[in-house]
Amino acid sequence: MIDDETTAGHIQELRRGTVVLACLVRLRQPDYGYALLESLNSLGIIVDANTLYPLLRRLEKQGLLVSEWNTEEARPRKFYRTSPAGEALAEVLTTDWRRIDDALARLTTGDDR
Amino acid sequence: MTTLTDRYVWAAARTLPEAQRAEFERELRERIGDATDALVETGRAPADAERMALVELGDPAALAASYVDRPLQLIGPRYYLVWWRLLKLLYSVVLPISVGAVLLAQLLSGDGVGDAIGNAIGVGLSIAVNLGFWTTLVFALLERSPGKGAADLAWTPDMLPALPELSRPGRRGELIGSLVFLGLFALVIVWQHFGLPWVGALETTPLLDPGLWSFWIPYFLVLIVLEMLFAVAIYVWGWNWWLVAANLVLNVAFVVPAVWLFTTGQLINPEALDVMGWPWGDAGDVIVPIVVVVVIGVAVWDVIDGVIKTVRGSRAGAMPTLGRI
Repeated sequence: MIDDETTAGHIQELRRGTVVLACLVRLRQPDYGYALLESLNSLGIIVDANTLYPLLRRLEKQGLLVSEWNTEEARPRKFYRTSPAGEALAEVLTTDWRRIDDALARLTTGDDR
Repeated sequence: MTTLTDRYVWAAARTLPEAQRAEFERELRERIGDATDALVETGRAPADAERMALVELGDPAALAASYVDRPLQLIGPRYYLVWWRLLKLLYSVVLPISVGAVLLAQLLSGDGVGDAIGNAIGVGLSIAVNLGFWTTLVFALLERSPGKGAADLAWTPDMLPALPELSRPGRRGELIGSLVFLGLFALVIVWQHFGLPWVGALETTPLLDPGLWSFWIPYFLVLIVLEMLFAVAIYVWGWNWWLVAANLVLNVAFVVPAVWLFTTGQLINPEALDVMGWPWGDAGDVIVPIVVVVVIGVAVWDVIDGVIKTVRGSRAGAMPTLGRI
């Protein structure tokens, strides 16, 4: 029997890259951290706040997201939006995701063509 | 904002560079505020919700580090192997040379053997601590500096260790060397009794005390024969723990009587000392300890060498089959 910790570790590994892709696609509509977290989780893309907030910052630093402060409400919020570079990366990642999905499907059905 | 959030934000932001602080504080307040609001919506009291949100965030220093991609380890995977190799190199080269030099200098300046060894150990410890500390500090700084590095000491195939020599052809050279050396040694012990023609003053005078022929010289000659048998045993069976023990016994059997005879003045023939003009001024105070240290050092190293070879040999247990291919 595989212990829970090992399983959790591998699931985390598997999800890591998909969170980046999900953010890039989801943030075609500008949004702030907490709203993004909620909407991803409600879609079934489970991500921890301690992972998401640093990730947003990192993606912004890499020029894949752009941000703007919205100060209209009582609490200022940082709205992130996917940049053209982020859009291009999202396309590359989506293509790769599909390729892996196809390959795994062929592998599990035993059709190796 | 309440004090608890203020304190958290301050604790997290104070470790960041000034330039990043304002933006980071603003982001963090947004995050804490949103998390607290969400908890309040589930029916908790605002104060409890705030506390829970902060617990969720965890240690402020760790949070700040994860926001700015600062490493939370002293030396990460990028530099660890280079650091480890350099440290091993320094400890195996610089440390023994420095300790040896200190020991020699102390003995030459006429200190007692005990003092000299004590000082050498003290200096050795301080050098070890300094080597470890400064090397690690440099790498910890490298780890925190931007940009790529570590290419200079990168791994190449040339750094692969040689396979342990387990095949007999590899050991044959060692066997021949040992037998020739031991044979010459025995020959010199016998020959010196009739004088050493290549040492001017000793053409006709025995170097070793002739009185030793009654017991000690035959004892050493028998020991040399045993050493020869031991060399053959190594050749036939390779190193193992029985031979390590035998090696220890042989070394002790040689060094203890030899050092005792030498330091109590029974080893060297008094006549030989006379014709050589011993003691040569103050030189005796220096030469005697050096000889003792060298003899003991060689024996200790011989035993350690045997242990190293045994450990390497048994660690590569699966290797013999590979070696014969």
